[in-house]
Amino acid sequence: MALVDAGSSPEHVPWPRRLRLDLTTPTLLGLPLAWLAVFFLVPIAIVAAYSFDVYSLNPGPHGFTLTAWHDFLHSSVYLRLFWKSVKLSLTVSAIIVLLAYPLAYYLALSGTKRKYILLLLLIAPFLTSYLLRVLAWKVILGNQGAVNTFLFWTGLRSPDHPLSQLLYSRFAVMLVLGYIWLPFVALPIFVSLESLDRRLLEAASDLGASRLQAFRRVTLPLSLPGVVAAFLFVFIPTLGEFVTPSLVGGASGYLYGNQIVDLFETGFPDWETGSVLSMFLLGVVAILTVVFARFLQPGEVTVD
Amino acid sequence: MDKHEGTERRLSREQLLRLTAAAGGATLLGSRFDSAQAALERLGAESGRLQVLDWAGYGNDGGQAMFAQYVKTHPNNKPQFTYMANESDALGKIHAGLKPDLFRPYVGWVKYFATSGLVQPWDPKQISNFKHLNPFMVKAGQYNGKQYGIPDDWGFDAILYRSDKVHPKARSWGLLFDDRYKGKIAWFDDLEMITIAGLYLGFDRPWRQTDAQLKQSQKLLISKKHLVRLNWSSETNLWEAFGSGDVWIAYAWPNDWVQMKKKKLSVVYMHPKEKPIAWVGMFMLLKGTPRPHLAHAYVNAWSSARSGKWLEDNYGYGHANTLARPSSSALLKALQLTNPRAVTEPSAHLDRDIPRRAQYARLWEEVKAS
Repeated sequence: MALVDAGSSPEHVPWPRRLRLDLTTPTLLGLPLAWLAVFFLVPIAIVAAYSFDVYSLNPGPHGFTLTAWHDFLHSSVYLRLFWKSVKLSLTVSAIIVLLAYPLAYYLALSGTKRKYILLLLLIAPFLTSYLLRVLAWKVILGNQGAVNTFLFWTGLRSPDHPLSQLLYSRFAVMLVLGYIWLPFVALPIFVSLESLDRRLLEAASDLGASRLQAFRRVTLPLSLPGVVAAFLFVFIPTLGEFVTPSLVGGASGYLYGNQIVDLFETGFPDWETGSVLSMFLLGVVAILTVVFARFLQPGEVTVD
Repeated sequence: MDKHEGTERRLSREQLLRLTAAAGGATLLGSRFDSAQAALERLGAESGRLQVLDWAGYGNDGGQAMFAQYVKTHPNNKPQFTYMANESDALGKIHAGLKPDLFRPYVGWVKYFATSGLVQPWDPKQISNFKHLNPFMVKAGQYNGKQYGIPDDWGFDAILYRSDKVHPKARSWGLLFDDRYKGKIAWFDDLEMITIAGLYLGFDRPWRQTDAQLKQSQKLLISKKHLVRLNWSSETNLWEAFGSGDVWIAYAWPNDWVQMKKKKLSVVYMHPKEKPIAWVGMFMLLKGTPRPHLAHAYVNAWSSARSGKWLEDNYGYGHANTLARPSSSALLKALQLTNPRAVTEPSAHLDRDIPRRAQYARLWEEVKAS
């Protein structure tokens, strides 16, 4: 069979091969796109339909209405709860990024031969179930948990006066979320740091930059896409998180994600309001992703 | 298809012989051949496993003791369980296409489901243990004179507290709102908290509060929410928190008291002066179920005194069968099982329909979100 030049026009390509070429893209993309459509877009469309009362769980007349959206946007309660969740997620994400960066920096740039073993240790908790890892914290933080037992043993606290705000509190939610998501944050930062061109650091050093200046002017800007990606990896899922708060959050650790679940499942089903809250969360996350995506481009090194 | 299931869908040889004999006997005797024919058709039609939508825990190995009689008489139609977290969850599952033969909401939902078009009334004549069931609970299962709910497990909503840590000023629901015990109180994660608030505030009809009263109830709950450590939704959740000392006061059921006693905690199960609320589990039969007779047989097994005793001994709940007696005299006393009126006035408020349930639920959700 004759080879076809890269520059030859399509009409010169034998038709069976042309057909193969034409079908490659749709074949490769077809299944994932169909999967996405059936299991992501269609369910979202159904939830959206519930939010506008096009669908309704309850018998009786229903049809397109903006009532649930109007009620939500005029409800200070739900919006305040959303803001509470945003603040908590932002705090958790920022703290974890600050903690994970030095860790990833050490693994990527210290030159240690054991970095992949250390990396494996970092992600080792993923080998156990998410639920189990959250529940383990109950054993640690409870009134009779490991922390309080240690405090009793040292005499810093008496059994009658344990540190009782460790569990069933907002603090517990933040601590557990931080623990759960730390590896997710460290990995993208590690990848961005490891792909750093070391010659840039050498050049900075040759040009008289101190290690701190080299970090500030070279390493940090070039690793920013990894940092932003890591931040998003935590911020987006924790914004709608409901498992951890329901297990260790108690009344004060109740978050927006819990409210969505409860509107669908407890008391009396209110799928309209639950759908509105879900769509609002989805919209906010989509906007944030678009906004942050521009920071995911490789950074630039500035020279004074 | 599962091989086991496949065999269950067919009549066993023994059943076939029994039915043939019954049909033949009926013919020979010249009596009602029709009824034998009907029995044959009925059992033939009611094949497959009985589909039960029930609360988690009632279908496990221990639970089989409560319907052991059914399994014994219908070995080829063993129940297959789907679990419900609450009535709202059950409603969602049924609307989403789940087709159970029967399920078990609580007494406050009887009217809702009876008027929803999702269920059909039972035929008490097919339930031989029906005559032993508590008449007040039986009445609570009726709507428009028809028996939509068959009462079964029941208990009280009251207050559990640690007697070594807590010193109530009064026997009142107010203990759930006592400022002295900030961070040591657990409420129940349910719209019933609005009813409890109404009871505490002295409203005549806490289940039918006016807008102004609802506002007052919600205001009370929001103002006292900072005292609450936990809104529990599953008993294990409460047991962990109460057992570890994270919580000293809780809205609780009799079983929670039993469990905490087992942990050797000094606990009191207090019936408040505003009266506890009595809840009753009600089996309901789905409309158009293909296995109505199997469902009746299953409920009949659950309704036996033997099942009742097992339930009381192992779960610490009461049982609607008035002949059932637990081994524990403490539980007998706590549930006042010798007094069928214990679940109703003047001892307690038997839980009932909340006409504005959606409004109550919304207000409760707002309390949690606030």
